Amino acid sequence: MTSLDTEAALRGRTSPGSKYVSLARTTLQQAIAYRITTFFNVGLTFIWVIILYYLWRAAYAGRASIAGLSWDQMRTYVVIAYGINALVGWRTGTAMMATIRTGDVVFGMVRPLNYCTTQLARALGFTVVEGGISMVFTLVIGLLFLHIQAPASVGSALLFVLALIIGFLTKMLVVFLVSLLTFWTLNGMGLMWSQQAIMQILSGTIVPLALMPGWLQVVAKVLPLRGIVSTPLEFYLGTASGWAGLGLLGLQAAWLVALWLISNLAWKRAFRIVEIQGG
Amino acid sequence: MVRPLRIFFRLQLVQLRSAMEYRADFWIAAVGAILQQLVSIVFLVTFFGHVSSLGGWSLWQILVLQGLVMTADGIREMFADGVWKLRADVNDGSFDRVLVRPISPALQQFAALASIHGIGNSSLGLVVMVLGLAHSGVVWTWWTVPVLVLTMLCGTVLTASISFLTNMIAFWEPSAQSAFPTLVALMRDFAKFPLDVYGAGIRIVVTVILPYGLISYYPSRLILGVGDSPGWWATTPLIAAAGSAAAAALVWRRGLNRYQGVGN
Repeated sequence: MTSLDTEAALRGRTSPGSKYVSLARTTLQQAIAYRITTFFNVGLTFIWVIILYYLWRAAYAGRASIAGLSWDQMRTYVVIAYGINALVGWRTGTAMMATIRTGDVVFGMVRPLNYCTTQLARALGFTVVEGGISMVFTLVIGLLFLHIQAPASVGSALLFVLALIIGFLTKMLVVFLVSLLTFWTLNGMGLMWSQQAIMQILSGTIVPLALMPGWLQVVAKVLPLRGIVSTPLEFYLGTASGWAGLGLLGLQAAWLVALWLISNLAWKRAFRIVEIQGG
Repeated sequence: MVRPLRIFFRLQLVQLRSAMEYRADFWIAAVGAILQQLVSIVFLVTFFGHVSSLGGWSLWQILVLQGLVMTADGIREMFADGVWKLRADVNDGSFDRVLVRPISPALQQFAALASIHGIGNSSLGLVVMVLGLAHSGVVWTWWTVPVLVLTMLCGTVLTASISFLTNMIAFWEPSAQSAFPTLVALMRDFAKFPLDVYGAGIRIVVTVILPYGLISYYPSRLILGVGDSPGWWATTPLIAAAGSAAAAALVWRRGLNRYQGVGN
């Protein structure tokens, strides 16, 4: 081993950054071990892609556009929306809850690391696998069967990726906050169902924000969940540009900061009432 | 016939009592389950804000389809959710206990879990269905209500049988982690919309292989008077229920013969 390697290894042991990386690597290995399960978990969200495709196809028969979206755009929206929605999936949420349910959370409490960042790092490991499988589904279904459009331009593709990353972090924080509720209730399943359902509606996965009835649109437009699916897709399709696009990014970033602060406050509060099951 | 039924409800009651010890959990599960159902309803309401009909069906007529599927699945959840424990039971060997008792193993498995929150789903389903029927201009005849009730009951049998069948995978494939049964169960969502909009492949799957369409689309066409529908379509729920129950019984026997326990 050269002196340079030793130095790197030593630094690895002391800097907190690489500790989070190794946490992510552990969950990545777990996720790979359960890849078939992950495959079905991602696959079942795509049932709705098929349903929505056929429903919209019927709706567009004899019409050029609905609420400003063409049939090509709508098709693209549906496939990519579900692809993005599968990014932080069932496993991530249940894994976060499981640490609290089983009492493993004590390890999180005694580690000299930020609990919130720890959870995000672990989630990242799952997401690499979930995201990979989801991307394969999206590309196979999207390109082979539903013929989705390419991004509106190179610029919109870049903005899409940027918004996607912010949206991804937003979703992880929201899932993290929901998982903290397991400190108060033992029913993680019900929480996950609620979280999934609300997320599907308010992020614009089930239907684009622009089509929603007025009252729902108002709610969806101010909440952070739109940043997860709707905002990246608006950049992808090129429906948001100039000041409107800047506003969307600003809202996304502001919510991300707010959620980060709330999350850190919340887990400190939650730790105070912790009650470990069993003895 | 009466004795097994009595035992079944006694077992359910025991499960129910233990579940009601965690009252807050019940409410969280009920709300979560209802919210999941609301997703497709929010979609429908939004969708019909922009189009006036879907393949000749109005919003209210489609709500009847949604209601039928939701009610059937809600009742299944209440009385037969135990089949979802089968994989875990076979894996950790607690299925041995089921086999040594002098009651039908299938009956015990059905009652292994009381998901009382199914009451939320089935009530919401009923409300949605009644609302749909009230606004669809149904021509009420003497057979309308009997066919509706039959459809919901047969739907319960069908969804229970399919869940039972897919969970029996535990006898052949020991991994308890598979999401395959969930995938198959979720295919029922296809039957929440008129089958005419789908391509031929999906229509065949939800009519013949996983006949969710037989407990929603076909009887509904008859009741709502959408298009020309032959009278025998009133019996499609019976065909679905009988066929799926027979298949489940057959595979269950073979599965039981295969079961070897987990050793000590």
